[in-house]
Formats: sequence, C-alpha cells, structure tokens
Amino acid sequence: MVLVGAITGAHGVRGEVKVKSFTAEPAAITAYGPLFDESGTRRFDLTLTAKGGDLPTKAASSKALLIGRIDGIVDRTKAEALKGQRLFVPRAQLPANEDPEEFYLTDLIGLAVRDKHGADFGRVIDVANYGAGDLLMVEGSAEGDFDVPFAKAFVPEIDLAGGFLTVDLPDDFFAAPSFAAAPGRDGEDVGDEVETEGEVHDR
Amino acid sequence: MARSVWKGPFVDGYLLKKSEATRASGRNEVIKTWSRRSTILPQFVGLTFGVYNGQKFLPVLVTENMIGHKFGEFSPTRNFPGHAADKKAKRG
Repeated sequence: MVLVGAITGAHGVRGEVKVKSFTAEPAAITAYGPLFDESGTRRFDLTLTAKGGDLPTKAASSKALLIGRIDGIVDRTKAEALKGQRLFVPRAQLPANEDPEEFYLTDLIGLAVRDKHGADFGRVIDVANYGAGDLLMVEGSAEGDFDVPFAKAFVPEIDLAGGFLTVDLPDDFFAAPSFAAAPGRDGEDVGDEVETEGEVHDR
Repeated sequence: MARSVWKGPFVDGYLLKKSEATRASGRNEVIKTWSRRSTILPQFVGLTFGVYNGQKFLPVLVTENMIGHKFGEFSPTRNFPGHAADKKAKRG
C-alpha cells in the first residue's frame, strides 16, 4: 500500500472532508482508483469538490489541501470522525513507468544497498531532491549514514525484483576532507576573484 | 544588492584548483567542500561536489543550469521530509 493522503478534518455541515494530498499533483489523489485504509479493509470513494487554492479562507489556501465527499459520509459528525485517517492506494494501481530510468520513490525506499563486491551498505530510507538531482539517502552502513547521487555513475544497477541496488563509490567517498582544503586554513586563496571567459570588466 | 559585474563571480581559489585536478585525473570523485559561498562556474559542470550543510557533505552533481548559483543553494541546512506517494525519480 502506498500512502497518498490524509483526511485533516470536516468541511461544512454536509459531510465534506478536507484532504491533504501527498501526490506530485495534488488532484491526482483520486486518479488511482478507490482509496483504502492501511490494512486495505476499509474503502473510501472520494470525489473532489474543490481545491484548497480556490477557497477564500487563508487557512485553506494550500494547494495540497483538497475538499471532497466520501460515499456514505453525509453529515459533519461522520466527517469529523474521519479526521486523521490516512489514505492509501495499492501499489499495483500506480501506472507502470514508461521510461526504464524512471522509478517510483516508493519502490526505491527500502532497497538494500550493496557495493560492486557485494558488501552491505544498509538501506535506502528516503529520496531527496534539493535542486541538484535526486539523492538516495542511505542508512545502516558501517560507515555511517550517507547520500548518493541518483546517477548511473554512482548507481549502476537497480534490481527491484531482487530488492537491492548496487552503488559504485569513489575510493575516498567516506574519507574525511582534509582541513587543508578549507579556505583560510592553509593560506590558500580566500575570497579569490576569478575572471571567467567572455567576461567584461569595465572599470 | 547584486554584486558588481566588473568584479566577476566569486569562487574560493582552492576549489578551482581541486576541480582542475579532478578533471585531469578523470576519476569519479566527490570534491568535499565547506565553501557554500562559491559561485558555480562553467568549468565545474559534470563534477560532483560534496557541499557541507552543517551536518554532512551533500553530493551536488553540477549541471549547466546550475551555473551562476552558489553551492550552498543546493545543500539546504534544514530538512522538510515529505511523502513518496506517486513521486518518481529519474536516474541521471
């Protein structure tokens, strides 16, 4: 099961609920069929009626906040009882990736990490992107927690069926950087100004 | 206030030297640096830097559209974890 959202409260008196969506496109929360609770036993047929950004109140202006109606929930009391309910879809409901180099984060998280010699490096606990490409966050390694760029040079093999991925790390990846490399610690240039090609210096 | 154009971009000199040495060696190496203030120059494209965020060295794989930004912009000092849901990652 994949967590795609959560009910954050009731909206109005007719049984509508406020839903916080965790999907890349907030409104896509209903695109993968009916929603379930974590065990998959209780089903929620959600129909969206408004987006948070459309609402006039400041508190409801978040784009990830949606307003919807769930089948069988007809009054505010029942809607309030659902507050905090997390919403899941079965992993099989997510469409297959067309690009072989594209992976669902939910598939990558939890994979065992090995080096090219088969040594264990822990597990992927999260995938982050701070603007410089995706990073696999690895925990449980004897070397401590570390991050690896999600690039072919660093992650040459991914075996989803086998539940592992292989990393190819440089020899000095875990080495502490030398203090000599720090500015101002070895008399190196500090605040150096560099002229780049094609630059105009009109004084 | 923006930096005067006549000064050129600021970069710590040792970083330039290390990047040149790494490029010459041709090895797949992470250049660890504390210099969050340095501007990303065209000669850094394709190299991987480990930029310190106060806790660890976050790998920053430099691409063309990062030129002109500072290294610190790609190594946040605070973390806001989200949910995976239907999000995807593309192997570069």
